[in-house]
Amino acid sequence: MIQKKICMIGMFGTGKTSLIRQFVHSKFSDKYHSSVGVKIDRKQVQLSETTVNLLLWDLAGKDDFEDLQTSYLRGSAGLFFVADGTRRDTYDQLFELRRLAFEAIGDVPYVVALNKADLTDLWVLQQRDYDALTADRWHMLTTSAKTGDGVNEAFYWLAAETIRR
Amino acid sequence: MSQDQGPETSSQDIHDAIASSEGTGQDFSALRELLIGDEKRVLEELQRRIAALETPEELAAMLPDAVALRTAQDKKLARALSPTIDEAISEAVQRNPQQITQAIFPIIGPAIRKAIAETMAGFVNTLNRAIEHSLSFRGLRWRIEAWRSGVPYAQVVIKHALVYRVEQLFLIHRETGLPLTHVAQKDLDSQDADLVSGMLTAIRDFVSDSFDAGSEAGLRTFTVGEVTVLVEAGPRALLAAIVRGQHPAEFIDRLQGTLETIHLQFATALNQFNGDAAPFEATVPLLEACLDTVLTTDRPGIRRGKLRIAWGIAFAILALLAVLAIRSSRRWNRALESIEHEPGIILVEANRGFRRPQLRGMRDPLAANPMMLLAQMGVDSSRVNAVWEPYLSFDSSIVIARARTLLDPPPSLELELRDNVMLASGTAPADWLARSSRLATQIPGVEGLDLSAVTLSVPNDLRDLASQIEQRRILFNVGSAVLAATARNIAAEVADSFRHLQQLSGDALYYATLNILGRTDTTGSNETNRVLSQERARNVVALLASLGIAEDMMSGVGIGTTDPIVTGDPVSTARVNRSATFVVEFRPDTGGARRLQ
Repeated sequence: MIQKKICMIGMFGTGKTSLIRQFVHSKFSDKYHSSVGVKIDRKQVQLSETTVNLLLWDLAGKDDFEDLQTSYLRGSAGLFFVADGTRRDTYDQLFELRRLAFEAIGDVPYVVALNKADLTDLWVLQQRDYDALTADRWHMLTTSAKTGDGVNEAFYWLAAETIRR
Repeated sequence: MSQDQGPETSSQDIHDAIASSEGTGQDFSALRELLIGDEKRVLEELQRRIAALETPEELAAMLPDAVALRTAQDKKLARALSPTIDEAISEAVQRNPQQITQAIFPIIGPAIRKAIAETMAGFVNTLNRAIEHSLSFRGLRWRIEAWRSGVPYAQVVIKHALVYRVEQLFLIHRETGLPLTHVAQKDLDSQDADLVSGMLTAIRDFVSDSFDAGSEAGLRTFTVGEVTVLVEAGPRALLAAIVRGQHPAEFIDRLQGTLETIHLQFATALNQFNGDAAPFEATVPLLEACLDTVLTTDRPGIRRGKLRIAWGIAFAILALLAVLAIRSSRRWNRALESIEHEPGIILVEANRGFRRPQLRGMRDPLAANPMMLLAQMGVDSSRVNAVWEPYLSFDSSIVIARARTLLDPPPSLELELRDNVMLASGTAPADWLARSSRLATQIPGVEGLDLSAVTLSVPNDLRDLASQIEQRRILFNVGSAVLAATARNIAAEVADSFRHLQQLSGDALYYATLNILGRTDTTGSNETNRVLSQERARNVVALLASLGIAEDMMSGVGIGTTDPIVTGDPVSTARVNRSATFVVEFRPDTGGARRLQ
């Protein structure tokens, strides 16, 4: 069995922890976030020929990307970015977050989840935003931690990418 | 039977023989009959029985008795049969092991249980005896404790007599925090080696980040109640031991040794690790060798060699003094060198002297403290007489330090000096931009300030307020630009929020504008949609103006279907695009003072 470390990155309140909760059953309580700044969960995914044990490092969301604790990123086989589709600033900062992460650990597979897709009435992302992401080599999925839409797809896609490398 | 009837039968036969003896041939056979008839019959009977003995039926009837008889006599039979039996068993095991297993299973289980029970009993006995003999008073106290707390005596003994026990060992890949191997004492069950390994790595990172230790330094020991976590770090892997009780210092050496061996033997596997821990299964015996359990009764006395230790210490002190003397002069020279290289410090005179060294020179107020530098290089700075004249250094690192003290840039901003021009890059808030443009050229050594690489950062409270406004939208009916009854309520809320935002922005030297984007769904021609969306935007601008928002702070644009909001569902996408939406933009408020009044 192969093990891979995945880091979840995104601003405060984008729903990283909720996405993980939708995807796995958590062992550690959320209070690890406020103390150590990271919470780790495990999920086994069965890809066509391999079983991958994903270790999901859920970094505490910050208000400012400057506070990204890059030492936790070390050794990641993949990065899972999360933005909140109802808050433009969380989308705007994706590019800077990716730059900081790559500066720290180099180029690894990544995906972005545009989360809270269930809140259609508050959704602010427009065609232009999707185009900008696609043009900039992002693999994106709209997800809802509430309904579960897109969540498995995002994690499985990233797991498969980490194996392909 | 024939013998019982013998006398009667023979006299009768003789009479018959005589009576019928008329011919010679007949006479002879009668005579033979007469003489040896009985013996002949006995002979025939014997012959029959010997022949019968050679058939399996007869042997089968006799064999059990024969074996029993022989076994009772001596051991020859057993000795003779044993090679045959050995061969037979091994043949049977090879041909059908299942059957043998089933046959002996009922014996093996109880036998193992009995063996374990006996060993355990022996262990507890030894323990009991050791404790009762050497520490009888303590033994008594523990018995009382066991009796009072209702805990079995053996457990109380182990609790008190335990010096230390290595409960678990984790071999962790250093970079990823993934577990390579995990071993634990048999009676412990722990299934979350991967999570624990990850958290251990995270905690180590957290501590080195928090206390700004170098990347090579790191948390080596931490204690939780009676449990100590020891972490030894190698270049590629960490070895963490979970220890209950007081481990000796030698144990850490052993951990280090084990980790070194693993680095040596598994160098390639460690370098090429890609998440597959299989090649590290071979480290299990190495790790298991470290799973110690040490009780007080196992420990040797420590009285020996006290004298030797004292001698050793004396010798070490002498050697240390000699080394210190040599080092001290080297250290002084190195310290002077480091001061000379330090920007903002000019060393004019240095004299080591016999007791109190003397230093004289010039120092920029922002340069590093030379006394601290001395102390860092291991010189006792309290004994140094130093005189430093202040001066202004134009060394670029000092100029940047000076700029930092005066301009107080946010952590997100980098300052760099190129041809006496200060280049700023990164993000900064508006008030800093205003202040720095005013102050920069007054800094000695700075002739200009270049802010072209700085992006404006917006404080969280403004950004949150902007987000709230941007989440609102005014919806329209199909093909219509007429404001619905609810539109006025939404517009009033937006106006209130925007006024509040303007207030906060002004205070922080930002200038916020509200852009209104008119939108349409995709039905209808592009041209119709463009006109309709412009009309929608215009109507909302007018509505907001009537609610007191100054028109020069707003712009209304009809974007038609060019940049639609995209939700997951086509029906709601169409609905939310028949709308006017809001975008807040921030600029630094260069004429801020005017607007505030």
